[in-house]
Amino acid sequence: MADEPPIVFVVDDDPSVRDGLDSLFRSVGYAVAAFGSVQDFALHRRLERPSCLVLDVRMPGPSGMDFQAELAGMGDPLPIVFLTGHGDVPMAVRAMKTGAVEFLLKPFREQDLLDAVRAAIERDRARRAQEASLAELGARFATLSMREKEIMAFVVAGRLNKQIAADLKLSEVTVKVHRGQVMRKMGAATLADLIGLAGRLRR
Amino acid sequence: MSVGEAMRVLDRERFRLGKAGLGLSLALLAAAIFLADTYTDLEIAVAVLYVAVILVSVWFDRPAVVLWVGASSAGLTILSYLLTPRGAEHAGLVNCLLSLIAIGATTYLAIRIEAAEARARQARAELAHISRVTMMGELTASIAHEVSQPLAGIVANGHAALRWLAATPADPAEARRALERVVADADRAGDVIGRVRRMVAKAPPSRETVDMAALIEDVLSLTRSEIRKAQVTLRTDLADDLPPVIADRVQLQQVVLNLLVNAAEAIGQQETGPRDMLVGAATDGERVTVSIRDTGVSLAPAAIERIFDAFHSTKPGGMGMGLAISRSIVEAHGGTIYAAANPPRGMVFGFTLPVRAATAERNHG
Repeated sequence: MADEPPIVFVVDDDPSVRDGLDSLFRSVGYAVAAFGSVQDFALHRRLERPSCLVLDVRMPGPSGMDFQAELAGMGDPLPIVFLTGHGDVPMAVRAMKTGAVEFLLKPFREQDLLDAVRAAIERDRARRAQEASLAELGARFATLSMREKEIMAFVVAGRLNKQIAADLKLSEVTVKVHRGQVMRKMGAATLADLIGLAGRLRR
Repeated sequence: MSVGEAMRVLDRERFRLGKAGLGLSLALLAAAIFLADTYTDLEIAVAVLYVAVILVSVWFDRPAVVLWVGASSAGLTILSYLLTPRGAEHAGLVNCLLSLIAIGATTYLAIRIEAAEARARQARAELAHISRVTMMGELTASIAHEVSQPLAGIVANGHAALRWLAATPADPAEARRALERVVADADRAGDVIGRVRRMVAKAPPSRETVDMAALIEDVLSLTRSEIRKAQVTLRTDLADDLPPVIADRVQLQQVVLNLLVNAAEAIGQQETGPRDMLVGAATDGERVTVSIRDTGVSLAPAAIERIFDAFHSTKPGGMGMGLAISRSIVEAHGGTIYAAANPPRGMVFGFTLPVRAATAERNHG
């Protein structure tokens, strides 16, 4: 998976711009999937790879802005780089507020576009990495026994072994053993690590 | 053949024959009058018929030609008088003088008419030009978009080509394809500029064979982004059997442009509802009809009646000249322009042009 190139999705109704972007992104090593309309793109099954969308704002049918809202409504976090032929400031502001990575005016500078796409892909990659690690953390947490989960909650809350033992009516040694298991299973080296992991799980 | 009939025939033939043919017809008519004048008795004032020749010569749109035709007619009248073998001398002389007076007066009036028409033509051309340039100004954003689009293509393709060539190993096939797109885009940008230049050109009025469908496509290519901005779904229904019309291309482009922009604005003005535009061109063999239907704001019948009047605008900030100029252009081509409601909503604007624009040349401007 890691070796596969990130995918840039291009949606532009102008065939020449579309083909040009397709060629440009491939020439810098991305995989590209280009579409003439947002409807075509929406029908496309996306692979689980870091990706971003380069989207023309103004197209026949639903506009790029409408589509951005639609994706956001579906909870789709795909980062978007907007291209537009019109220098429309309110539109740019709206797009950026709704989470666009960049809003570029045609004709754009190549470097600006590549930088924006790189940033967008990085954003997606970081999000995927975070999601993956969160999923892994969840899986680890799931391996804890009920008792271990209980003890972890106390530990994270800052209570001492002695206090926990008293609370749960256990021996301090038993608490220590459980606590060691929790640290091992959660992959935490220190108490601070464990607190951090618990914080991420809670979010 | 009566004078009126002769004029109608000439009028009809004018477009078929062109100016050379018209000149020949006039010369033949003059010769026929000369022969009739010479071979009839002196008492019969056939020479008065030269008046018709002079009136027809106004169609050349050149005062010098009218003057020359008048002078020739006078010369021929005198020559006929001298050559006519039979008839009463005295009555003949009086007839000859009366004919000369008629010819002189007609020539004078014809030159005056011609000059007035030239001025009117000039004024109309100026006005149309101003309105066209104004409209192109309003379309600046749209035109900029039409140019920026190929430029974006050039930027992307050009850099892609450089990268394919610099890659190891280089990929000349990819680079070549990218460069081909660069060239195509450069041509496309050039075409847009060419179209703009032709639209704002202060071209003298001309008559040429115009392919209406191509003309409409041309105008659409300049307004596409304007139409898109109004989020209009555009459909075209251009018949492929349209006969060419003889018309002034720039002026007809202006009419189509005007109707298109109006329709896009009418749709843009409304927040909800369908946003469709249908541009159609059809023919019944004798006429070509262009129509533009929109689903924008409908106008009341009373407003429709006045819509082609000058300085009558239904748009905020509108000058109210666009449709008035469009009507004058269409009518100068011997056609008619119309507006009607397009139930259930919106308007249809259109115009009809004769395939052979019979009475156009003299009046166009």
